[in-house]
Amino acid sequence: MSGAKLTSDIERPGGGAAADRASQSHASPQAPHSRPRLSVIVPLFNEQESIRPLYAAIVQAVGDIGCTFEMVFVDDGSSDDTVRIATQIARLDSRLRIVKFRQNYGQTPAMAAGIEYACGEVLVTMDGDLQNDPADIRLLLEQIEAGFDIVVGWRHDRQDKLISRKIPSRIANWLIGKVTGVPIRDNGCSLKAFRGELIKRIPLYSEMHRFIPAMASIAGPRVAEIKVRHHARRYGQSKYGLSRIYKVLLDLMVIKTVATFASRPLRWFGLLALPLFLLSLLALFQTLTGVLIRHGGISLPIAGAGIIFLASAIILLCSGALAELIYSRGDIRDQEFFRLTQDTRPRRQSE
Amino acid sequence: MKQPGQTAAKLVSIIVPIGARRAQDIKALYDGYKSGVAGIGMPFEFIFVLDCVRCEVQQALEELLREGENFTIVRLTRHFGEAAALMAGFEHASGQLIVTLPAYDQVEPADIGKLVAALDDSDMVVGHRWPRYGNPIDRARRAAFHGLVNFVTRSRFSDLGCGARAMRRQVFEEIDLYGDQHRFMAILATRLGFRVREVALRQSPRDRLVRSYRPREYAHYVLDLFSIFFLVRFTKKPLRFFGMLGVATFSLGVLLIAYLSVERLFFGEPLADRPALLLAALLVVLGMQVFALGLLGELIIFTHARGMKDYRVEKVIQYSGIDATAAEDSDPAPGATSGRNTDIRQAPPAAIA
Repeated sequence: MSGAKLTSDIERPGGGAAADRASQSHASPQAPHSRPRLSVIVPLFNEQESIRPLYAAIVQAVGDIGCTFEMVFVDDGSSDDTVRIATQIARLDSRLRIVKFRQNYGQTPAMAAGIEYACGEVLVTMDGDLQNDPADIRLLLEQIEAGFDIVVGWRHDRQDKLISRKIPSRIANWLIGKVTGVPIRDNGCSLKAFRGELIKRIPLYSEMHRFIPAMASIAGPRVAEIKVRHHARRYGQSKYGLSRIYKVLLDLMVIKTVATFASRPLRWFGLLALPLFLLSLLALFQTLTGVLIRHGGISLPIAGAGIIFLASAIILLCSGALAELIYSRGDIRDQEFFRLTQDTRPRRQSE
Repeated sequence: MKQPGQTAAKLVSIIVPIGARRAQDIKALYDGYKSGVAGIGMPFEFIFVLDCVRCEVQQALEELLREGENFTIVRLTRHFGEAAALMAGFEHASGQLIVTLPAYDQVEPADIGKLVAALDDSDMVVGHRWPRYGNPIDRARRAAFHGLVNFVTRSRFSDLGCGARAMRRQVFEEIDLYGDQHRFMAILATRLGFRVREVALRQSPRDRLVRSYRPREYAHYVLDLFSIFFLVRFTKKPLRFFGMLGVATFSLGVLLIAYLSVERLFFGEPLADRPALLLAALLVVLGMQVFALGLLGELIIFTHARGMKDYRVEKVIQYSGIDATAAEDSDPAPGATSGRNTDIRQAPPAAIA
C-alpha cells in the first residue's frame, strides 16, 4: 500500500514543487504514528447488522483509492451487539479505532467525537446505516484535492419516504441556504469531507450536525457539492422523524445570530439599538417641546413610547457590551478562522 | 470499565463534610462509621472536612488524633457549603473508591458495606433511607420535591437528601460541584454517563427526630430546583429557553399594543389613561431583554464550546501491532478473537496543532 505516491499528487491551489519535495521525505506511510491521509468517521447507533458490510465496503472503496486511511467508528451508546462486533473487526485491523460513548448522546456529539479522535488530513463522515455508499468517498476526496475545504454529498435520487422525509428536508434546506448564505441542496446528507485542520476548529454542539457547512461558514471555506448515491435502508429503523423541524428552526436561528454577532457583538447590538434610540429622542423631544413651548399637556402614549424605546436601546447596548466581554474572554476568534482557509500552501506533516 | 470482583484490594476514602448540621458527639459518629467501614474488609482512610467557622468539632477530632486514631482533617477557612467541602476532601483522597458520609447520623453505619458492594456493577451508589420515618407533612414535602426534580430532570431518585454515597474515583474526578449541588450529585453523575444506582439503607434512630423547616429552606428548595432544571435542560442551548420566553413575552406585548392601537384609531378609545398600554410596553421591553440574555448565553456557549464536551467517552478501542495485510479480511470469524492481544487504550484525543 503506497500512500506516499498518491499524497504527492495532491495540489492545493498554488501548491507546487516544494510540496512535492516535502511529500517525498514523507517516507513511510505505514509507520505507527504517521498521519493517515484519510479518516472515515462513522457514528453508529444500534447498527449490528450494518457494521460488517459497512466495514467491508469502506475497506474496499478506500483501498481502491490507495491512500493511507483509518476508520473511526463512534458507538453512540448502542444497546445491541454493535461494540462487540466492531471490536472483533478492530482486533484484526489496526486501522480501525472505536470510540465508545458511555451513553447515547445523539448524532452531533458522535460526529464531534469522531472528528476529535480522527487524525487524518482529510476527514470523511458518513452514516452507519449503509444509506451512503463508501465508493463515493473517492469523489469527495477528489474535490478536496482540487482545493475545496468542505465537500458535501447531495443525495439527488433520495431513497426515502416522500412526505415524512423528503419534503420537510427540501424546505429545511431551502431555509438553511437562505438564512446562512450557504446554499447547499442537501444539508442532511452525512457523507461529507472536510479538511481536518478546518473542521477540528469548528465548534459542534447541540444538534449542529445538520449545519456543519453553515457553522463552518464562519471560517469562509470553499464548499463544493457533489452528487452521491443513496441506498434505501437495508437494516434497522430510521432514527429521525418529523419532530426535528422545531429544533432545526431554533438551531438555525442560533447559528445565524452567533455567526453574525460573534465577531463584533457590540457593533451589531449597537446597530439594533440605534433606531430605537433615535425614536426615543424624537418622542422625548416632542414631549419636551409640548411642555416647555406649547405649554400643553403631556401626551402619555408618546412620552411612554419614548421612555420605552430609550430603555430598550440601553438594554441592547449593555447586552452588546457584555457580549463583547464574553467574546474577548472566549477562545474562538475570527483570526484563527481566516488562517484556516486563506490561500497558503499547506505545510507537510513532518515525521 | 473496571472489572467487578476486583474491589478487594482497593483503598476506600471516606469523606465526611462537617457543616452547620452535625452530630453532637463526633467521636461516637466516627466510631460508628469506623466499625461500619471496617466491616467491608477493605483498607480505608477517613477525611474530615471542617466547613464551619470556629467549630468545636476540631478539638474533638484533634483529641481523637492524639488518642492514636488515623485520619485527615481538612479545614476550610469559612463556611463554603457541602459541595465545596466534598471537593476539598476529594483533593486529599487517594482511594480508588470514594464514600461520602453525612456528619450526623442518617443511616445505620453497618449498612455502609451495602453501598460499596453495589459498586460492583455501577459507578455510583446513592443511599436511600428506608424504611423512612417522619410525619405525613414531611412525607408530602419530600414527595413533592422529589417528584418535581424527577419530572424536570427525567431521573428517578427518591432520597436526594441522603449524604451517604459511594462512587468510583472517576466520578469525582469528572464531576464539578459547586453551591448546593451535592444534593444533585447523583443526577449530575447520570448526566455524565455514569451508571448510578440507589440502595436502600436503614435510617438511623437518631435521624428520626421531627424537624421544622423554616420558609427560607423552602425557598432554597425552589431555587435548587430551578438551578438543576436549567443546568440539566438548557445549559447547552440557552436560546431555547430564553428565546421561547422572550418571544412569547414580546409578542404578547405587541399584540396588546396592536389591539390598543386599533381601538384608538378606529373606535376613538383614548390611549392615555389605559394601564394596559403600560403593561404592553413593559412586556415588549421585557421580551427583548430576555431574548438578549438568551443570545448572550448562546454566545458564551459558542465561545467556550471547544472546552465543553457534549459527550463522555467510555473507552477507545484500537489494536496495534498486527500486520495490516492480515487485517484485509473484511469479515473475520468470531473464532479469531482468541488471541487476546488486547490493547484497549484510554487514548487522549488526537491533538492537532
